[in-house]
Amino acid sequence: MTRFGELLRALSISRVEFLVVGGVAAVAHGSVRGTQDLDVLYARDRTNLARIVEALAPLEPYLRGAPAGLPFRLDVPTLEAGLNFTLTTRLGWIDLLGEIAGGGTYETLLPESSVIQAFGVNVRVLRFNALIAAKRAAGRPKDLEAIAELELLRDRHLS
Amino acid sequence: MDSISEIIEIYKRDIDVTLLDESLRRTPEERLRALEEFEQFREELRIAMQRGQTAE
Repeated sequence: MTRFGELLRALSISRVEFLVVGGVAAVAHGSVRGTQDLDVLYARDRTNLARIVEALAPLEPYLRGAPAGLPFRLDVPTLEAGLNFTLTTRLGWIDLLGEIAGGGTYETLLPESSVIQAFGVNVRVLRFNALIAAKRAAGRPKDLEAIAELELLRDRHLS
Repeated sequence: MDSISEIIEIYKRDIDVTLLDESLRRTPEERLRALEEFEQFREELRIAMQRGQTAE
């Protein structure tokens, strides 16, 4: 089980620069579909990578689905060497995304985000149109129903 | 309209918009807390099912 609030708080307290994307962003916008992991799009500069390590290293992060016993260590060199990381932690599942479908990075999508207040912290969430565009770009059949719901929510939100 | 957009329009017909309207009445934090509660429920159900299978 993922404790979304505690994960968001841990990232915010360490001043990690990130945007909430994926299913949790959809829920924040009103989606009633479930999700089990927290997807975040993070800034790739070294300062931010160090903040991610500060926030998540105490939570015993490990590569989700990987065999036990691998010498995985969440540190700045590891984050620099990769881009997208699907992790399990003591607080549940988190996906650290350096880029999302459609070529979106933290810097390019920052203007497409809004700040919401939740769990005692301010959190940046990707807005409707960018979220829909990312899901369309991903081109996964499983996302089509989610896109339909997001478009309905956007239309009702605007009306 | 492209075929993907046509499929998305078909999916829209089957979405229960009363649930969406209820959700939109909540704040983003209330929606995220509801998601956590659902996750907790799902986990408890999974454990209960495992116990049930063990007891059989």
